[in-house]
Amino acid sequence: MVEIAILAFGVLVLLLTLGVPLPFCFGAGLIVMTVIGEATMRGMMLWGFSQLTNPVLLAIPLFVFAGTIMSVSGIAASLLQFVNVFIGRVRGGLGVVASVSCAIIGAISGSGLTGIAAIGPLLIPEMERKGYPRAYATALIANSSVLGLLIPPSVTMIVYGWVTDTSILASFLATLGPGLLIMLNFCIVNMFMARKFPLVLDEPLEFTELLKQSGKKTINAVPALLMPVIILGGIYGGIMTPTEAAAVAVIYALPVGFMIYKGLTFKILLESGKESASAVGAILIMVLFSLMLSQIYVMEDIPQMMVDKIFEITDDKVLLLILTNLFLFGIGMIVNDITAIILTAPLLLPLMSALGVSPIQFAAIMGVNTAMGGVTPPYASILYLGARIGKVKFTELIKPAMTLILFGYIPVVVLVSVWPDLSEFIPSMFGY
Amino acid sequence: MEKFFRYTLTALISTVAVSQFVQVLTRYVFEMPVMGLEEAALIPTIWLYILGSVNASREDTQIRANVLEIFLSTDRARLVLHIISEVISIAISCWLTYWAWKYFNYAMRVGKESPTLYIPTIVYESALFLGLVLMTLFTLWHLVRNVQSLLGQRPMPAHLQQPTTDELDEMQVLDPSSGVNVSANKGHQKEQNNG
Repeated sequence: MVEIAILAFGVLVLLLTLGVPLPFCFGAGLIVMTVIGEATMRGMMLWGFSQLTNPVLLAIPLFVFAGTIMSVSGIAASLLQFVNVFIGRVRGGLGVVASVSCAIIGAISGSGLTGIAAIGPLLIPEMERKGYPRAYATALIANSSVLGLLIPPSVTMIVYGWVTDTSILASFLATLGPGLLIMLNFCIVNMFMARKFPLVLDEPLEFTELLKQSGKKTINAVPALLMPVIILGGIYGGIMTPTEAAAVAVIYALPVGFMIYKGLTFKILLESGKESASAVGAILIMVLFSLMLSQIYVMEDIPQMMVDKIFEITDDKVLLLILTNLFLFGIGMIVNDITAIILTAPLLLPLMSALGVSPIQFAAIMGVNTAMGGVTPPYASILYLGARIGKVKFTELIKPAMTLILFGYIPVVVLVSVWPDLSEFIPSMFGY
Repeated sequence: MEKFFRYTLTALISTVAVSQFVQVLTRYVFEMPVMGLEEAALIPTIWLYILGSVNASREDTQIRANVLEIFLSTDRARLVLHIISEVISIAISCWLTYWAWKYFNYAMRVGKESPTLYIPTIVYESALFLGLVLMTLFTLWHLVRNVQSLLGQRPMPAHLQQPTTDELDEMQVLDPSSGVNVSANKGHQKEQNNG
């Protein structure tokens, strides 16, 4: 049966390579398992459909919708001005503003695209005006935008928690430490890079002026900064479930977008609603068929058989962790973050458990690797969007993006694999 | 069609958000949870997922990996690849629709009702079958259009002419260069100039 499961997986990967939509790739896997493997489809639709009624899933469209509303509402300008008052006038400060602002946007939105979409159009021209090469500025913001997938709330972690039956709140917190570390790495790398750019610096503000400015900008940014407080405070204060917090975020984002930042119009709201729903529909139909395939695998005990086969070859934990990371890195290069998690998490989790890696640490390993996939070609959605927004040739982005990946992401990928506390400490503080 | 999906999907996602918000208010603020609200909310929720997916098929933005496409140098070769993937998709979709039809028949026969409000569950259980039928038809529609493009009867689809991913196609509202959120960006610029 393992051979047929591998054949089903092979067919899935072949069709995926040909560009067949992912839900149908999983459908092809189901066909192989039922026609050749003689597994049964009876009751499978009923079981799969019942999984869709799980209220946890509802958090995905609502977080996507809230994040989209906030990002198109004009929130970014106030956030940028807020962060800029404190660090914008230091050499390399604008680069730090980019990373920190993307992290804050990440705490509002669950998507990796929001940061570059909201911050990019404002900060790239400003950074270029101050002497940063345009390609570097674009690559820095695009890379920092990925923090949206690591700073909670995160859509990918909802999916991970759901498909692996791990606490979603713990999964959220698992990627927080690595996310903050990546942000810090970007700030440090940027400070080094900034030394060789011919930067134009604004005069430092006098203390009284700094106080005045910071007060004014903070007041402007308060409605935006309140959003993560409501979402995360509500969830971790034990007041609301993630789904409820996401709904509150949507209801909060509407008046903020329409009346405070005034960037939201009825037309944009309709477009945001349609696109959020389509994005979520495309994810959930894929999840439905992937879960059905996973269920057939579980019924046939395939994951455990695969673990046994792998252990026949080697049981070296370090080697297997390195191979897992390389595998996830490779998967992240060809599919998006959510697909990578749906495709690999249910299969790899039994192996990780056998190696003594907890589901929370594995959430962080998956989160960091698949997030990095968003900026590693050929499937580099966030970098593609960066190229469009920054009006830079994609090829010009590769070098600065790779520098940031090398010094920003890779050390964290290594750390998160060998140092469990990086991902487990914060969840443990909340009792997970 | 565009207008239908724009209004329907926004109405569904807003209904779902409002129902959850009402539940938060009644449960935590007034401490009087509304009985059956979650049951009723299941109807717009499931239709939101399924119609969202139908719209993704309509706009041809279902999640794809497009690995091979990157290595093809001509638009024509990419178009041929799209046609092959659409033929395969239709075959698989028909098979999935067959099983969804069986499930639909089963749900009709059993005639289940929700425990609190006695809503017939077929109201949302029918969504999967109907959704798959529509997804198959939209895939067929794209196949016909792509074959017409290959035969020179239609211009080449725009998405074949530049590197893209399905996420960018789906979330055009976040891409200022797409022109969808032009007014929001004007808002951004104006605020920045004022600031």
